Amino acid sequence: MEIGRQHMASDFGLVSLVLALMITALVPLLFLKHAAFKTELNYNSFYFFFKISFFLILSAFIFLVISFVFSDFSILAVYENSHIDKPLFYKISGTWGNHEGSMLLFILVISLYGFLFILFSKNLNESLKSTTVFFQSIIQLIFLFFLIFTSNPFEKIIPVPNQGLGLNPILQDPLLAAHPPFLYLGYVGFSLLFSLLLAGLITNQYSANWASIAKRWIFLPWTFLTFGIALGSFWAYYELGWGGYWFWDPVENASLMPWIASTALIHSILVMEKAKKLFNWTAILAILTFVLSLFGTFLVRSGILNSVHAFANDPRRGFFILIIISALTFAAFVIFILKSSRQGKDNASYIFLSREFSILVNNYLLIFALTVVIIGTTYPILLSVFAGESISIGPKYYNTILAPFVFVFLILMAIGPYLKWGKNFFSVVRFKFINILLVSIFLTAIISFILQKQDIVFWLGIACSVYLIISIIYETYYLKFTNLNYGRLFSHAGFGLLIFSITLNYFFSKEFTTKIPLGGSANYQDFKITFVNSFSQKQKNYEELFGYYEVEKGSTKVSLKPSIRKYNQPEQFTSETSIKNQWLSDFYIAMDYSKDPSNGIGVRFYFNYFIGLIWFSFVLITLGGFLGFIQRKNEKSN
Amino acid sequence: MRFLFCIFLFIYFLSTQLAFSSLDREIEIYKNIRCLVCQGQSLNDSNSDFANDLKKIIKTKLDNNETDKQIYKYLVERYGDWILFDPPIKTKTMFLWLIPLLTLIIGFYILRKKISFSKD
Repeated sequence: MEIGRQHMASDFGLVSLVLALMITALVPLLFLKHAAFKTELNYNSFYFFFKISFFLILSAFIFLVISFVFSDFSILAVYENSHIDKPLFYKISGTWGNHEGSMLLFILVISLYGFLFILFSKNLNESLKSTTVFFQSIIQLIFLFFLIFTSNPFEKIIPVPNQGLGLNPILQDPLLAAHPPFLYLGYVGFSLLFSLLLAGLITNQYSANWASIAKRWIFLPWTFLTFGIALGSFWAYYELGWGGYWFWDPVENASLMPWIASTALIHSILVMEKAKKLFNWTAILAILTFVLSLFGTFLVRSGILNSVHAFANDPRRGFFILIIISALTFAAFVIFILKSSRQGKDNASYIFLSREFSILVNNYLLIFALTVVIIGTTYPILLSVFAGESISIGPKYYNTILAPFVFVFLILMAIGPYLKWGKNFFSVVRFKFINILLVSIFLTAIISFILQKQDIVFWLGIACSVYLIISIIYETYYLKFTNLNYGRLFSHAGFGLLIFSITLNYFFSKEFTTKIPLGGSANYQDFKITFVNSFSQKQKNYEELFGYYEVEKGSTKVSLKPSIRKYNQPEQFTSETSIKNQWLSDFYIAMDYSKDPSNGIGVRFYFNYFIGLIWFSFVLITLGGFLGFIQRKNEKSN
Repeated sequence: MRFLFCIFLFIYFLSTQLAFSSLDREIEIYKNIRCLVCQGQSLNDSNSDFANDLKKIIKTKLDNNETDKQIYKYLVERYGDWILFDPPIKTKTMFLWLIPLLTLIIGFYILRKKISFSKD
C-alpha cells in the first residue's frame, strides 16, 4: 500500500515537470506569435499560463519532497542522498542537498520571482510587464530543459534498492538546511532583474522610471543573498570547527561575487533614478550580477572547486551550465548594444564631491574588490587546467589587498550620503565631517587605551568604522528621525559595525591547538584548559564521543562539552563544537576523534573576541536590505 | 582629487607594510600552510598526524633561527606550491596582482575623465 503511494508521488512529480516544460514553452511562443502578427496579446491568459507553470514546478518540487520523506529508493536521487534512519527534518532538507533537487529548487525560485512580479506589478504598463515575463519564461525554459535532460530528479533506478546511501553528515544541520534556499532566493532572484532589464531595453523603456521600478527587485534578492551568506558563515563557524567566520574559501567567494556586483548595482541604480545618468553602466552591472550568480552556481555545482578531476567525471552538467551562461550573456549584450545607444548617453560628467561622484567612487572600489575575488577564485582553477600547476590562495592574499580599501570605503560611506545630487556641497558640510572625525579619533584613542593596543592597522580599522557609525548617529539625530532612509542607515551601520567587530576580533582572538591527555591540562598565555572527562554514546545513525573541558581565564571559568560524531552511512566524521559566550566573546572548543581517549584527544581552542557583534552586524545589514525593499521612497531627490 | 588619491596611497602602503605582521610568528606560519591530508584546513587548524609531524619540523627550524623564507622554501621543495596558502610571486602567479592593479589604474583613468571640477 505504502510502496504504491511512494511511486505515485514520483510519477506525479515527473508528469508535473514535463507539463511545466510544455506550458513554459507555450508562454514565449504565445508572446512571439502576437509580436509577429502585431495582434494585441491577451495579457491575462498570458500571465495565467506563466502562473500555471509556476504551480506545476511547485508541485513537482513538493512531490520530490514527498519522495524523500517516504524514502522512495526507486528514485536515483533519493537512493543516493537519503536513508531510512535519517531524521524527518533531514529527509526533507535532503531534497535540495543534492544536484538534481537543488536544480529543481533553482527553477522553482526563477518561477517564483516571475510569479511575484506578476502579482506585485499591477500598475506597471503591460508592454514592459509582459516582456519581462517573456524573458523570465525563457530563462525558466532553458533551465527546465537542462534539468530534465541532464539531471532529472525523478530518474528511476532498477532494481529498487532497500536502503539509501545517506546524506553527507556535514549537511545534516538545521542551518545548512536553510542556507541553500535563502542563497537561491538571492542568486536566482537576480534573474528577474535581468529579465526586467532586457524588457526595458527592448521596449525602449529603460529610463529613470525603470530604475524606480527595478530597485525593489534588486533589494529583495540582495536581502536574501546577504542573509544566505550570513547563515553560511554562521554554519561554518559552529559546524566546521575551524573557529572562524570567513575563510575566503572558493565556495564562499562564489556567493560573494554576485553580492559585491549587486551592491554596486544598488548604488548605481540610484544615480540612474535621481540624476538620470549612468544608464549603460547600470545595465552592465545588472547583467554582471546575474551572470555571476550563474557562474557561482556553476562553480559550486560542477564540482570543479573541490577537485578539478571531479569535473572530468561528469563534464556534461558543468559544460551545459557554461553553455547556458555564455548564451545568456551573449544574448543580453547583443540586446544591450543594439538598444542602449538610444537611451541615456553616458558622456555626462560628474561634479567632484557631488552625490553621484561618491557613488562612482563606490562602484570603482567595489569593482576592484570584485576583480580581486574573481581572480583569486578562478586563477588557481585556470592554472591547474592550463598549466597543470596547483597553487592555493588563502585569506592573506585577500586580506592584504582588500583591507586598506575597506578603510577608504568606510569613510566614503560616511561622507557620501551627506553630499548633494548634482552639485559640490562639500564646503557647507565640511565642518560636520571634521567634528565627526575628531569624535572618532577621540573614541579610537579611548578604545586603544582601554584595550592596551597600539597598532596602526588597528587604529585605522577602529577609527574608520567608528567614523561611519558616528556619522549615521549624527544624521539620525540631525534629521530628528523624520525623512530617514532606514534601509541605508541600517545596512551602512551594519557594515560599520561589521568592520569594527572584525578589527577587534582579528586583533584579540586567540587560538591554540594541542593534544591533552585525560585529566591533564594545557596552558596557553592566560588560558588554562583542563580535560576533565570523556564518554561515548551510540545513536541511531552515528556514534558520538563527548569530551568535558574546563577553560579558565583569570577569574572566569567555563565548562565546554564538544563532541565528535562518527557517522555510519556514509562513514564520516563531523565535529560538534562547543561554544560558550561571555558577553560578546566566545570560548570555543572543537575536538578530534580518538579511539582511545585516555591517551589524549587533540583539541582546537579558540577565544573569539567580539564575535557576537559580527553576527549582529549581519542581521543589521540584512534588515537594511529588507527596509530598502519595503520603503518605497528611499532617497530624497536633492 | 590628486591629494585624496595620495592620502589613499599613503594609507594603503602603510597598512600593507604593517598589516598582519603583529601576530604570533609560529601560528602565522602554521596558518599559511595547507594540511595536505585534510579538506581545506591549515596546519594550525589540524591535529592530524601529518599536521603534527610537520609542525614539529617547523618548530625545530624556528628554534634553529631559520627565516620564514627558508622554511617555506623547504616546504615548497618537498610538497609544491599547493602547500602554501599565500601564493609565491612568480611569472605564473603575477596576474594575481597585475590584474587587480590594472583594474585600479584603468578605473582611475575612467573616473578622472568623467569628473569635472567646476565649482557651482
